[in-house]
Amino acid sequence: MTHENGIDLALMDEVFQKYSQQKGALIPILQNAQDIYGFLPQEALQLIADKMGVSIGKVYGVATFYAQFYLEKRGRHILKLCDGTACHVKGTPLLVTALGDGYHIQPGETTEDGDLTIEIVYCLGSCALAPVTILDDQVMGRMRPEMMVRKVQKHIKDAQKAAGA
Amino acid sequence: MSDNTVTLIIDGHQVTVPKGTLIVDAAKQIENEIPVFCYHTKMDPVGMCRMCLVEVGTPAINRETRQPELDEAGKPVIRFFPKPMTACTTPVSEGMVVKVDSESALEKRKGILEFLLTSHPLDCPVCDKGGECPLQDLTIRHGPGNSRFDYEDKQRFPKRYPLGDLIVLDMERCIICTRCVRFQEEIAHDPALAVENRGRRAHIVSYTDPVFDSHYSGNTADVCPVGALTTRDFRFGARSWELTNAPSVCNHCGVGCNTVLSTRTGQIKRIMPRQNEAVNEVWICDKGRFGHHFNGSPNRLTTPLVRKDGELVEASWAEALDLVGQKFAAIKEAGGANALGGIAGARLSNEDLYLFQKLFRDVIGAHNIDHRVGLSATLEDETAYTVGVGCGTDLSRTGKGAAILVIGSDLDQEAPVLYLRVAGAAAKRGARLINAGGRQTKLDAQAQTSLRYRYGTATHLALGLLASVVEQKLVDEAGIEARATGFAELKKALQNYATAKVADVTGVDAEEINAAAKAFAEADNGIIIFGLEAGNDSALRAALEALALVTGHAGEADNGLIAVLPHANSRGAADMGVVPDRLPGYAPVDGEAGLSAQEMLAGESGLKGMLIAGVDPAAESEAYQAALEGLDFLVVQELFLTETAKLADVVLPVKGAAERDGTFTNLERRVQAFDIGVPAPGLAWADWLVLVAIAGRLGAEWLYASADGVMAEITQQVPLYAGMEFENLTAPVSLERKTSHYIYEGMSFTADAREGVQWPTLAENNAEGGPKLPLRFIEPAPVAGDEDGFTLVGSRFLYDGGRLLAESQVVESRIRQPQILLSKLDAQRLGVANGDEVTVSQNGVSVALPVKINRMVAEGTAVAPRNVAGRPVEKLVGPGGVYATVKVEKT
Repeated sequence: MTHENGIDLALMDEVFQKYSQQKGALIPILQNAQDIYGFLPQEALQLIADKMGVSIGKVYGVATFYAQFYLEKRGRHILKLCDGTACHVKGTPLLVTALGDGYHIQPGETTEDGDLTIEIVYCLGSCALAPVTILDDQVMGRMRPEMMVRKVQKHIKDAQKAAGA
Repeated sequence: MSDNTVTLIIDGHQVTVPKGTLIVDAAKQIENEIPVFCYHTKMDPVGMCRMCLVEVGTPAINRETRQPELDEAGKPVIRFFPKPMTACTTPVSEGMVVKVDSESALEKRKGILEFLLTSHPLDCPVCDKGGECPLQDLTIRHGPGNSRFDYEDKQRFPKRYPLGDLIVLDMERCIICTRCVRFQEEIAHDPALAVENRGRRAHIVSYTDPVFDSHYSGNTADVCPVGALTTRDFRFGARSWELTNAPSVCNHCGVGCNTVLSTRTGQIKRIMPRQNEAVNEVWICDKGRFGHHFNGSPNRLTTPLVRKDGELVEASWAEALDLVGQKFAAIKEAGGANALGGIAGARLSNEDLYLFQKLFRDVIGAHNIDHRVGLSATLEDETAYTVGVGCGTDLSRTGKGAAILVIGSDLDQEAPVLYLRVAGAAAKRGARLINAGGRQTKLDAQAQTSLRYRYGTATHLALGLLASVVEQKLVDEAGIEARATGFAELKKALQNYATAKVADVTGVDAEEINAAAKAFAEADNGIIIFGLEAGNDSALRAALEALALVTGHAGEADNGLIAVLPHANSRGAADMGVVPDRLPGYAPVDGEAGLSAQEMLAGESGLKGMLIAGVDPAAESEAYQAALEGLDFLVVQELFLTETAKLADVVLPVKGAAERDGTFTNLERRVQAFDIGVPAPGLAWADWLVLVAIAGRLGAEWLYASADGVMAEITQQVPLYAGMEFENLTAPVSLERKTSHYIYEGMSFTADAREGVQWPTLAENNAEGGPKLPLRFIEPAPVAGDEDGFTLVGSRFLYDGGRLLAESQVVESRIRQPQILLSKLDAQRLGVANGDEVTVSQNGVSVALPVKINRMVAEGTAVAPRNVAGRPVEKLVGPGGVYATVKVEKT
């Protein structure tokens, strides 16, 4: 049962099976849903509310409370830039400017081709590596603007190749 | 010190309270009230707003000896917690010491208020809450004089955000106490609101479609401790201190919610609940709150009308009354007293109804009177007289150990505030709720047991439950001995209602019947509530009466029957004997009974003249209309020029309930007085005064000068109503009973709290040596065989096509239009979507109705609202009927 905008709700069946016996499993179910779709589509939230027997308002309440949940579609790759005190002093604003020049996006935005989303976070606990960034799951410390743009370009290209192969 | 109490010290005062009491409630015993925003005594505490921070200490315990540490003076050493505690979530403990007004506690609350005020706009001069706002009040008591906050960082939200048609949200004023969200979840069971985001971006949203879909939305504006939620009705209506507050009783349904009419310059500005724990606690439904605009409608009748040359023209009272007197006297002269008849609506007060029957019985000399037309034809109830719920019944306390059996009632639609209380008893306080009905209703979500019977078999189910109680040997032998007779005969009759057989007839699982019977019989207290969809069936009422008596759930508080009667004074209409066969107080008439409403409206009734007050039979069917047209002389007492009034020879304008005083008797037999709130338009009179004048024109000398005076006679003439003098009914409740639900709980606090008086049932009397009640068995009507087609159910909906509601613009968008609710699968099968028209037919009668797909409706069932424009469903199920098997086809 693929929804008109390409959301396949059948993918959720396994998630519900896994948590069917568990009370108060709303957050792990939302996390699983986000792993599947990359964000939390409205159709999935309605399905979760129906299956869990809670109101849609409650589901939205939880999904909007936590910064980890996204209600809108994001890029295939996520770059998190730390702008905590140490990273800020060590040049995160310069990294943001470089990304703006290179990809024409601001923090919180996604490139038009859907490749990259950049986000500002506050302190990743690695101040010794300032300024620190995380590209998908890969931590990159002591970043400089040109180096970062190169690494991002390579990361995206590698992923495209891997997908192509 | 008993085992169930705890003694503690609050600000130096010793206080003893029951175990488990929260500090905030314990502190109400002393002068120092603890300020709160999020706490509400009717909801679970959450500790969100932090306004109730206090210092708390407990007796220190020596770690080695496990004994309390004592100081040099031999007094226990108190160790204070390093951080302040929220008084609304912390239960008291023995020896606890609480400091509410210490310097440190005051400092902390000052800090909290400074935070709450960081983004709060200073628009009190245009805020509806101004003058009765906890945030204003607490700012005076606890607030800082200035703010350290940066104005540039103020949180901005859209102003005037509509949360549905009735409620407007100003998010900048909101302090996220979540009382509204929790009210909708915990009390209304309509989780229509939620908090989105967090911290300073948190805000209130509604995700339901339609937005904020609930019958109880107005209560959220009451409980809002700031001006964030306002009602469309009262928005910018008046300043609260300019209002005059009159205690009143809602005139829309049989629950009898206590209300406050807040008026200014002769207009109702708003209606709010008035606390009565025994009736409506601190809530009212949106119909009661917003359905008052009919009072000031430009369509109100303001002067008597008399038919001249075929046209209704304005006349003086004297002219109109003289004509009524002459004509009625002439008709009686020519055709005898039985050529006259009367129908009075169940919206009239007890005083009106008493005089109405007295006019016909004493002055005219006929028993041709009735109130059972329209919705009143769908449900009668004589069981209130025998086994109605005991005096002192309080559903707000019903909980663990009690069982409630609901049969054939969609309470959320028929009696919303009763729904709140029944749902609360089950969901919040642990009562066992058994919901028996022909279709799924909102109450099923709170019921532990849902018994789904085939329409037309409710009586069989009731007899099956009764037989199962006997079979399982769960009868209350002592109770039967004391109160009832004829148990042996009843037992014999019940042999035909063995569980397996009843299961077969009703479609309810046999084990479920046995389990429900056991749960109900074994409960400490048991209440049976029955409504319209069980059918207007004396066999059913006999079975339920017997069930209450046999299980011992009769004759005591919190036990007995409640019929969900449709109108504000349906109970009073029966009590006052506005029926052709009974006098006031349920005594049978001497000699032959008069004509019933159905007989009077059947044509060929032999009637020449009629008096119709507060009811509109002509709108119901062409047949009724023709019968009324066939009369020689018709007099109508009305608020509006209704279809019936248009046929009248004399129309007499009357006052609405808000414009006069009087009493209503609610469905728990509670007689409640209401005061005058606003002046009536034009020359309208109270109904009782009109009746006095008519009686005078017919030669009677009635000396009533006020509703109060009529009631004084009722207390003399109707033994059930002894003790119902206005003086008793309007006596304010004692301060102790007023408990705590005051301003901080969102109450209008300026009008008197009264409780009303219930009259005792026979089952209560016979505990004191009164006559025993015969256990009745009436053979139920045979169940029709399975026919092909849909089971069409004519259901009551809250917002129906009644005239009072039609004149109340605020709820206009919610009023039900004729429609048919179908399940999704049936709609697909018929090839129809929302809004498409289907033809519904039975025995040659057919009506066209637009389709609405509804997920509560089961396959094979179709639900259509009663009492809406054109009365389509009544044409198929009959005026007093509930269901019919019909054919549904795409038009």
